[in-house]
Amino acid sequence: VMAARGVPAEACVGQLVLPGDVLLLPAHPDEDGERLRLGAGAARRGRLLCGPGLRRGGAGLTVTKCGLLRHRPAGGGSGGGAFWVDSQQKRYVPVKGDHVIGIVTAKTGDLFKVDVGGSEQASLSYLAFEGATKRNRPNVQVGDLIYGQFLVANKDMEPELVCIDSSGRASGMGVIGQDGFLFKVSLGLIRKLLAPKCEIIQELSQLYPFELVLGMNGRIWVKAKTVQQTLIIVNILEACEYMTAEQRKQALAKLSAN
Amino acid sequence: PVVSVVRDAESQLLPDVGAVVTCKVCSINSRFAKVHILYIGSTPLKSTFRGTIRREDIRATEKDKVEVYKSFRPGDIVLAKVISLGDAQSNYLLSTAENELGVVVARSEAGVPMVPISWCEMQCPRTHTKDFRKVARVQPQFLQT
Repeated sequence: VMAARGVPAEACVGQLVLPGDVLLLPAHPDEDGERLRLGAGAARRGRLLCGPGLRRGGAGLTVTKCGLLRHRPAGGGSGGGAFWVDSQQKRYVPVKGDHVIGIVTAKTGDLFKVDVGGSEQASLSYLAFEGATKRNRPNVQVGDLIYGQFLVANKDMEPELVCIDSSGRASGMGVIGQDGFLFKVSLGLIRKLLAPKCEIIQELSQLYPFELVLGMNGRIWVKAKTVQQTLIIVNILEACEYMTAEQRKQALAKLSAN
Repeated sequence: PVVSVVRDAESQLLPDVGAVVTCKVCSINSRFAKVHILYIGSTPLKSTFRGTIRREDIRATEKDKVEVYKSFRPGDIVLAKVISLGDAQSNYLLSTAENELGVVVARSEAGVPMVPISWCEMQCPRTHTKDFRKVARVQPQFLQT
């Protein structure tokens, strides 16, 4: 195994990087020989953000996940740009603030246990719904689907889910209605679908009207007018992972011709 | 004939109420932290006792604003005082509600021992990231550099 010497980070943008690669950062002109301060620290101009898949250390950044290296150049007052690694992953790790779809597995006293696809089940308090009080309990049964966000999610404690935001409003979270279809895709596809002005969703909405809930844990819930339409949308979303844009447009054109 | 049962030569040292003990955090929860008691005063124990530090016993002031995740993490070495001999599960109840009690040794995510910078923050010397802990103010005579 060859010890990897540092490679300048800019040279690798858009290329495959493997865990263990060391990326050197350009010496900052303001620093005059000092070690570059990254991330949390004094808000100096040119502060670099180290995103997922990278870890700071020593002279530069160490890659911890394999994937393509991406870079967002410095834009106005948002510091010195950001580096991160786009990696493909199916296993979800709970992160604070993420909106996920969970399945209620147990109801104990004033706590629900929800399966979110992580290593541990998340806990959901019955008071964490809009308008819930000790007298007015939410109508949640075992097996229901919940759309909520993580209040607490770290490697040392059990994750906690809530269905209200910081101001106490539901804002779309809570129990997901009856019928519909839940299925699992990779995390990369979810991030693509959640990007603003996603083409896949726009093209699908011209085909049939449907309801869609995307969970950052890789789960998607779809409901259309008939079971057949629902299944068609499910199949297209699952296949979108591996289809190019032209193949998708061809498939949708064939369907809308029927 | 005489039958006798002989135990270990040294008698077992037990923590008393009010004794300062050194313990290691093994798990945390939003309500309390579970610890293993390693030393009583300055004598090491052969078998560790279990202890619990409740959320309201971590600090002396602003007890309701305490977050266990911002005071202790699994793996930290903590100085605590015994406040009760505990319940049926033989968990000693401990408290860190004094300036001299709290975290003395903690490791950052990089694996490096962190340096305390205030009573509630510690910093990693390699990555300069700051972490929250309830730091103990150790007397200068006990510090060794």
